[in-house]
Amino acid sequence: MMGKVCRYLSLSTLLVCLMQSCADEQDFDQFDDLSVTPELASSLFYFESPETLINSAGNAVFYSQEFNFDAFEEGYVADNIMDGVITYEIENTTSKPLDILIEFLDETGNSLDSESFQIDPEPTAILLREVAYGTDGKSLDILRNTSSIRISGINLGDSTSVSTQSEPKIIIRSSAAFAFRLQ
Amino acid sequence: MKSTTFFLFAFLVVATNYLQSQNKQLLYDFYGIPQSVMVNPGVKTPYQWHAGIPILSNISFQASTSGITVNDLFANDGIDFTAKVRDRAVNSLKKGDDFGGSGLIEIFNGGFRSRNRPNDYYSFGMYGEGFVTVYWPEDLAILAFEGNANNLNRRFDLSHITGQGEAVNIFHFGINRKIDNRLTVGIRAKVYSSVFEFKSTRNKGYFVTTEGENNILANTLVADVQMRTSGIEEILDILDDDTLSSSEELSKLLLRRSFFGGNLGMGADFGFTYQLNPRTFVTGSLLDIGFIYHTKDVKNYTLKGAATNEGVDIILPDALIDPDNDLWQDLVDEIEVLIPFETNKNSYVSLRPIKLNASIRYNFGERTARDKDCDCNYLTVRPSQRFDYINSLGGHLFVINGPRGPKVDITGFYQKRLGNAVAVKATYTANKYTLANLGLGLNLQAGPLNFYLLADNLLGYQNLPDSNYASFQFGFNILSWNNN
Repeated sequence: MMGKVCRYLSLSTLLVCLMQSCADEQDFDQFDDLSVTPELASSLFYFESPETLINSAGNAVFYSQEFNFDAFEEGYVADNIMDGVITYEIENTTSKPLDILIEFLDETGNSLDSESFQIDPEPTAILLREVAYGTDGKSLDILRNTSSIRISGINLGDSTSVSTQSEPKIIIRSSAAFAFRLQ
Repeated sequence: MKSTTFFLFAFLVVATNYLQSQNKQLLYDFYGIPQSVMVNPGVKTPYQWHAGIPILSNISFQASTSGITVNDLFANDGIDFTAKVRDRAVNSLKKGDDFGGSGLIEIFNGGFRSRNRPNDYYSFGMYGEGFVTVYWPEDLAILAFEGNANNLNRRFDLSHITGQGEAVNIFHFGINRKIDNRLTVGIRAKVYSSVFEFKSTRNKGYFVTTEGENNILANTLVADVQMRTSGIEEILDILDDDTLSSSEELSKLLLRRSFFGGNLGMGADFGFTYQLNPRTFVTGSLLDIGFIYHTKDVKNYTLKGAATNEGVDIILPDALIDPDNDLWQDLVDEIEVLIPFETNKNSYVSLRPIKLNASIRYNFGERTARDKDCDCNYLTVRPSQRFDYINSLGGHLFVINGPRGPKVDITGFYQKRLGNAVAVKATYTANKYTLANLGLGLNLQAGPLNFYLLADNLLGYQNLPDSNYASFQFGFNILSWNNN
């Protein structure tokens, strides 16, 4: 008798445990609400020209060249870029004022946007500019349609003076930090 | 989602299984169940022959997560889902946390006692098993969620990429021999017929964003990452085929691979049971000491090298030499040369996840004179002498060799026999998934029909989605004792 009781007790305990299993209500559709928007940062381009080359060009445009730049035009980037900032740092250790123009060009060479920088001769502080794109800034379509970048440099001073600094140069540094929608 | 894709997903997640814990502490040394010989070839085998009911002799599933549960994320609690993912996963989970499932379906299983050598019990069969284990890629999850812009100088460790999974069909034949009244030993030979496998372990490298040497930022990637796959490409090709025959083709492919049409391997299990004294037994087993040699449908992916990127460089006067040079493409090409992402079809050998079991069992409770051990062979043993215990208490250690080193489970158990027809086993197990794993097993013998039901982590059934671990197995066998 006792054996039978134990037998049924064991079986029922196991079955009750399994059959009484409960579950809080789950909503797997929540996954659609997931928002993953990391902010990714990278340098864009680095430009450097020595004062000797600026002098050799005379009192005029010492450089004007466009180069292919497909970073923003890549399908995934163009589709998912949200908003962010492009940062420019201009450092002038030459003895002359310079005018730097950075243009964003589409595939046919049309200028979509530009940034102009007037830099005093040395000694001068590093010029720092942040340009916002997206919600509170310029249109993201500028970047999405950018196929190349043109950098132009104009010497606004003489073509003979030489800075007292060692290795005088004009340097342009740039980086971008943008949020992307991954999900 | 296409039905075939869903089928593959289900096959991966459900029909396959077996690493997570793969601990079978309820089945281990519960030797009224013939399948206990599968976890210890040297277990006691008190039956004359057994035949598993095809497909139904052993079905088991396990699922586990560590650090988070389904309920933590998907409970319908009104909390913003992104906030839950950020707080409970990205900011909480560590690289040692893992997710996975395992499963086993026995196609057939049988065994018989040798007429000429009655102390030998032979068992054989075929079963499919598999598992999927993915470790939480802690650093990469943070990178994906936050990005690198606000994580300057933080190294995102690529070794956090770890995962593996496989489905394999196994043919086996084992010999269990009672050496004397104190010692039983066993060995099992296995032939593995792999259906598919993927494995990405022992990766190295990092991604870091720092202040640039020339430019504002420098992104550095140092990578030695690889993923080996076999049997996956052909399956994906079939799944990409939208024609109606793709499901049929997939079934044929899986069936062919299950029966020696895929990559093959060999292995062995070893085990013993030793009686220390009339009431105390120690057991041990080493399972799946073997390998699979992958030569067919192999595709391996590698990312190896190092590169630092500070953007496009325009340095005069050098840049004037070739003003039409495509600087952007040069940069892309340079990075691809420094860190090539490549594929190859190189054959490889994969070792099976070796499992170690060890236990000690102390029997107590008075057995009647009829039940006590006799110095007789299996052909003359009485039904009541099939088992050496009325009650027993013991401990069990389980260790499995995983992609991040061994995982250990420790179990305490109580086992009770209720007459000749019923035995129950209760376990308490501690492992990385839970410290409150209570399990209960029931073995019923109704004439020749044997039925068993083993369920783990019963407390988790109070709210299954909030459980870190769940396992369940059952089976039907026909047993023949010496008197039937």
